[in-house]
Amino acid sequence: MGAEQSVNIAILGGGRGGTALIELFTRCHGIAITGIADTNPEAPGLRLARNLNIHATDDPVSLVSDPTVDLIVDVTGNPSMPALIEQHKSPRAEILGGTAAKLVWSLIQDERDLYEHLAHAEKLSTLGTFAAGIAHEFNNPLHMMLGFAQLIQDTQDPAEVQEYIQEIVKLIKHLSNMSTSVNLYARTSAQGEMVPVQIPTLLDEAVRMAKFSTILDEVTVIPQYDPVPDILAEPGELLQVFMNLIVNAVQAMNARGQLTLRTRVEQGSITVSVEDTGPGIAPQDLARIFAPFFTTKKSGKGTGLGLYIVDTIIRKYGGRIEPRSEVGKGTAFRIHFPVTGLSHGTRPSPQPATPASI
Amino acid sequence: MGMWPFGHHDPSKPSMGRVLIVDDEENIRKVARLTLTKAGYEVIEGKDGADAIEALNSGENPLLVDVIICDIRMPKINGVEAISYFRSQYPSVPIIVQTGFPDLNLATSLMKQGVSEYLVKPVDNAKLVAAVAKAVEGREMFTT
Repeated sequence: MGAEQSVNIAILGGGRGGTALIELFTRCHGIAITGIADTNPEAPGLRLARNLNIHATDDPVSLVSDPTVDLIVDVTGNPSMPALIEQHKSPRAEILGGTAAKLVWSLIQDERDLYEHLAHAEKLSTLGTFAAGIAHEFNNPLHMMLGFAQLIQDTQDPAEVQEYIQEIVKLIKHLSNMSTSVNLYARTSAQGEMVPVQIPTLLDEAVRMAKFSTILDEVTVIPQYDPVPDILAEPGELLQVFMNLIVNAVQAMNARGQLTLRTRVEQGSITVSVEDTGPGIAPQDLARIFAPFFTTKKSGKGTGLGLYIVDTIIRKYGGRIEPRSEVGKGTAFRIHFPVTGLSHGTRPSPQPATPASI
Repeated sequence: MGMWPFGHHDPSKPSMGRVLIVDDEENIRKVARLTLTKAGYEVIEGKDGADAIEALNSGENPLLVDVIICDIRMPKINGVEAISYFRSQYPSVPIIVQTGFPDLNLATSLMKQGVSEYLVKPVDNAKLVAAVAKAVEGREMFTT
């Protein structure tokens, strides 16, 4: 199979098997789903397909007779289906059914378990860095508060006392704001339900949170948000995607440069882009960045799973991500999500700002 | 910019020594400056590794710095890089790390490089003065 030549697959059966096949195949490069058929138009696999802009039909015959289909996967468990397929399929289409389909189904279950484990490992690794970052961001103001408080103890000068108290009050307000941000993040991350998500709001939150994983002091963040429709997603997953891309971008720039965040509607899809002014990615690396365990970071610095999980999450929502990079100039990651028919967010683009105030 | 060669110092007292504090947070430098100045030290400041290195190199006699207090997580040249530079260029100047990261591996590796103290923020003012006094004392024994 050549890299450009994709295999066109027709799925018969919209139950758990068909749903799992869609989830797997949309994650795989080199596979295109021609469509999915089930006699029940409300089967979960058909609903998922419609959300992902994949052809969904209650007529298996029309699907299997499509001449572009290379492989028909039958997970209906219907004993009369094999004969029906044989009768209507194009001569070149191969069939995967019966025991072989069951075997594939159990392999998919295994693959899904493995992915869950990898995603969990990556989450723990990110969380470790993040927790250390939070501790650091709290320890600095605490240090200053302790210092000023002890200076108050040691002075008789009322003007000095006033000055230090003012600093302490400022620091307490700063800590309180940080605590609110972390709390908001915890709530967003834990939300496991699909809800309409305002992408610009989530991008801003990702920037605030990225501060705990990397240093943003010398990065100019330029938000350029055109109004875009909300998308239906688990906010925690999208936040993970945005934070990962932002932290990568900042690290690539060695914490100095411009980070441009854009949202816009382009050719019927919602485009989100994260652009840095870093050194860029070499073409030979660019082709591999989404592969699991691929990393250019020093050993112990990255798991090589970040972008793999980013890619997986985006595909889950029917989107795709494309990196564009020019060595010496920078890298842009563009994410395209399908428009799911939700209402337009009308949030205007704020002024360029540095995220120093959290 | 660093303030070399004119550090903060209470002119009514003889200087106990000259301290370079490197931290990107202005108020952390301010607390250290006020505390150490009251304790009789002369204090110069660097807001990051690059700034500190520039401050040291623009002085007439860099060895006049008796102790360096350095943060780890800073923009431009971070603390680990700055410390390895200080150790190679000014091996006799003791270094005190003052950081918000309680990282045992990092602490061990920095101590191996000759860092004399690894203080985790929040640091008591008295503890900082004691660490500076101890480092300066060690340096005097080393140089005489």
